[in-house]
Amino acid sequence: MSQDLESQLRTALRPIAPSAALEKKLIASVTEKPAFAPQTGRFLRRGARSRAGWLSIGAAACLLIAVGMQHRLRERDERANGLEARRQVVEALRMTSQKLDLAYEIVKSQSTALDDGNPGA
Amino acid sequence: MRHRGINMRHANIVMLLALLTPAMAWAAPNPRLVLPDFTALAHRATQAVTITLDSSLLSLAGRFLDGNDPQDAAAKEVIKGLQGIYVRSYTFEQDLAFSEADIDAVRKQLAAPGWSRLVETHSKKTHANVDIYIMVDNKQAIGLAVIASEPRQFTIVNIVGAIDLEKLHKLEGQFGVPKLDIDAAKTPH
Amino acid sequence: MTAQVAAYAIRFARGEFTLNEEVPRFTEHELAQARMGNPQALTALVRAHQRSVYSLALRMLGLKDLAEDLAQDVFMQLNRNLQSIESSAHLAFWLRKVTAFKAIDQLRRRRRLPTTPLDEEMHLCSDANVGDPLLHRHLERLLEELSPPARAVLLLRYQEDLDPTEIARTLEMPINTVKSHLKRSLQLMRQKTPGALVARPEDQST
Repeated sequence: MSQDLESQLRTALRPIAPSAALEKKLIASVTEKPAFAPQTGRFLRRGARSRAGWLSIGAAACLLIAVGMQHRLRERDERANGLEARRQVVEALRMTSQKLDLAYEIVKSQSTALDDGNPGA
Repeated sequence: MRHRGINMRHANIVMLLALLTPAMAWAAPNPRLVLPDFTALAHRATQAVTITLDSSLLSLAGRFLDGNDPQDAAAKEVIKGLQGIYVRSYTFEQDLAFSEADIDAVRKQLAAPGWSRLVETHSKKTHANVDIYIMVDNKQAIGLAVIASEPRQFTIVNIVGAIDLEKLHKLEGQFGVPKLDIDAAKTPH
Repeated sequence: MTAQVAAYAIRFARGEFTLNEEVPRFTEHELAQARMGNPQALTALVRAHQRSVYSLALRMLGLKDLAEDLAQDVFMQLNRNLQSIESSAHLAFWLRKVTAFKAIDQLRRRRRLPTTPLDEEMHLCSDANVGDPLLHRHLERLLEELSPPARAVLLLRYQEDLDPTEIARTLEMPINTVKSHLKRSLQLMRQKTPGALVARPEDQST
């Protein structure tokens, strides 16, 4: 059975193709020039003073990036939590509605049975 | 003389109310159930659903429910004014894998003052039981509890806050939950 | 079994699934071109690896929206790090590793909201129209019950077809831990999978 379970797992877990829309976004993710692409050659020939100036600009840029990334991470976390909460609300309400319906069906079948003179339903 | 008599009675009434008020506040109905730890049952279940949504999570969910989507919009309507939704549901591979004693701790809370049993149903055909309890304050429903048990599944739902039962029942169509056929309900999960 | 084969044939004829062989290969030459920023090579890179990244993200996180976000994130990070990718094998390794780590990290941060399997969502996770959909849905539900690291191990084994040594390297995990996760996860799945849903060897007539 272990081998069967493993082969069933392989079948069940075959990779899924993303939608065409997502493929487009993924392609855009790799083809767009990254915002802070390393430009290796540009600063090597400058003097020490201007290098220090660039370093402080670089440090400020890093700080901005860090703040921006943190903000982005927080936004992403909130979005993830929000989507999960939404999913759970929908599931909880669906289950509640289903059980209310079950009660309704039982009551309905009992009253039908009574009408038919068969109280044992 | 008469004036003093009235004052005394007045004072006695005020004192009585002062004594009772903390007790009355203390006994104010609480629609939030204390749900047991079902970890042991969850391990035996083939499917376990645990949902715990307090007011902050409901508010967060509300921001992500799309008003333009009929299902989301309906759900958004229902959760307005709610303070919490709590669900525990366990499905088993075999009949009677859980006992009523597992649910008794919840039923005991529903026997407390404040809760009224709205519906108690039992189907001899499918051995399904569904009990629905409601807590009302000032002519408004402030709590709902549903205990549903079938041979291979039990579900406890506790909704805290101002519930509109009609809106809740109308959701059924939105989630694609069909009218249950009694024979289909016999099918094991 | 005959009915399963027939169902397989009908679905294949309808084009309801694609075979793994249809995933385009990505060559060393294309990687070199991609490193130089060639758009066609970069597109080929995405097409060669998107299924693996997306499926891993989706089955780890269980939510389509989050999986799409994560997949985009991974490829954006690849964009920034492409110069450090040495070979197409290294590329595949890098993508799996980053996807798995990001997913595990997100799941850990999401821990205060216990996830519950949702029939509708899990149905989206399965593109496996081959075989028994009921069993597959059941297995995917069980997958959600595993801890994030165990889930990652199982996916790398059965979705990505890596051996335990490769999994250990990808997840930076001791090999004994990988083996232990595999053993316990399979045991759990066997215990919780009704015997009728898994064909016994004597039932298979191939």
